[in-house]
Amino acid sequence: MPSLPELQVAFARAVTERDESPWLRDLIVSDRGLDAQARIAVYRNNVLSNYRKALQAAYPVVLALVGEAFFNHACDAYALQQPSRSGDLNDFGGEFGDFLGGWSPAAQLMYLPDVARLEWAVEQVFHAADADGLDLHALALVPQEELRNLRFELHPASGIVCSPYPILRIWQVNQPGFSGSQTVEFHAGGDALLVIRRDATVELERLAAGELSLLRALAADHTLAQAHAQALEADPGLDLAALLQRHVLSGTLVAFRNGRGATV
Amino acid sequence: MPEAERTGRDPGAIPIRAGIGLRAPHCREIVESRPNIGWVEVHSENYFGDGGQPHRFLELIRADYPLSLHGVGLGLGSSDALNVDHLRKLARLIDRYEPALVSEHLCWSAAGGRHLNDLLPLPYTEEALAHTWHRIEEVQGILGRQILIENVSSYLQFRQSTIPEWEFLAEVSRRSGCALLLDVNNIYVNSVNHGFDPRAYLASVPAAAVQEIHLAGFDATGACLIDTHGAPVADAVWSLYREAIGCIGPRPTLIEWDTDIPPLEVLLSQASRAVQILEEAYAVAA
Repeated sequence: MPSLPELQVAFARAVTERDESPWLRDLIVSDRGLDAQARIAVYRNNVLSNYRKALQAAYPVVLALVGEAFFNHACDAYALQQPSRSGDLNDFGGEFGDFLGGWSPAAQLMYLPDVARLEWAVEQVFHAADADGLDLHALALVPQEELRNLRFELHPASGIVCSPYPILRIWQVNQPGFSGSQTVEFHAGGDALLVIRRDATVELERLAAGELSLLRALAADHTLAQAHAQALEADPGLDLAALLQRHVLSGTLVAFRNGRGATV
Repeated sequence: MPEAERTGRDPGAIPIRAGIGLRAPHCREIVESRPNIGWVEVHSENYFGDGGQPHRFLELIRADYPLSLHGVGLGLGSSDALNVDHLRKLARLIDRYEPALVSEHLCWSAAGGRHLNDLLPLPYTEEALAHTWHRIEEVQGILGRQILIENVSSYLQFRQSTIPEWEFLAEVSRRSGCALLLDVNNIYVNSVNHGFDPRAYLASVPAAAVQEIHLAGFDATGACLIDTHGAPVADAVWSLYREAIGCIGPRPTLIEWDTDIPPLEVLLSQASRAVQILEEAYAVAA
């Protein structure tokens, strides 16, 4: 008689990898017209269906782009390659974009992995922590000469996604309720997007080259002076004051700390 | 000891009325229309995120209704080590919302680090019993509170089982000190799938341990009944519910619906039917 751990490992392998040990079948009661294989198959269907529903909920645009049959095929292959590691199904699917990038049946859909990465970012931002806006009064009190040494904190419910493909347009035309032409001009170029939750809804905003460099450097905990220098490399005409004001007032930047480490 | 006596504040105890499983498509409508339901229950894992709209709605709803947290992912019967990270998130949620009840399932769900994210049946053996009640005791110790354990639907039985499911359930409760969440639909589904008398099951449930009842719909289109939570409660299950109430007494009763979620009014009408049966039981008792 197998131990409880042996039984569970064998059952998990039978369900996920279709690898049924003969002794496992012998352990399962066959009755009421259902043999062991059929009973294991009920669980296989349930488990695959749980995984598929979880990914369909997280990746509605990928689903709309490829259709349900192809999507489920991808999901089943993904579940084998990247087994679920959490009891919370909401965690399942974080590597789906990377998986699609290496999955040969989707090789011709070059934009698909980045669309998936964008959807995962949207999902993460939807559930991320709330934050109050930045303390404008405290910022106004910072002496001009110390501004360059400040480090800014981005909203916890924000992320940056970049792609050589027009993923914003792809995302928009595949939203429920979108009306109008669904044509996407692939030669329109790529997107650098800020994914951010303002109030309760997740928004996608295009970033210009200098703005992208600035926000990335601030997100990497560089000082404003360092971030500014990097942004100027991307865009020599960058207007730092205007950009900073916009991202403070719109809530992209939610806190700052000075060179001495005090957080405001 | 009831939570209110222990902490000296009212946590919003669950009344002996019908509640509904709170699902995302209904949140806004519930906040706006404040339907007359006794309490709500959510899947704990759906609130493991740090913030955003799900918590915004739950805070508003919690202010008006008693709350129960129902977990689907701890896998208390899994041989794998207890997932401490999962438990930490649950503890944080309990701190935040002060639910009156916290429940999980009598099942396993992961092996060798791989999660199947399903409610898988245990072999009902002394080994599995010892493992499971110790695990429940450990969880209750970490959370610092009693939890409820729910019987699950199953589609197979292991030959090495030596203990009937109902006795296994009762023993888990007796040894770990956990309470029970009796899912009447799951008892019915298993009675059909495995051929036993559901009344014998009810008769052996330790009534005093039962703090909550679940009702849901199953799917009967395949070779066995599948607990999909995607249909109205079946007539046979309503009858069994009436018998359960007669047998163990009136208990807070939840209507669960998770797939093909219908308009809120459908859930409310199912809840009214449960209320009617509870009130009949009170009338008989009086």
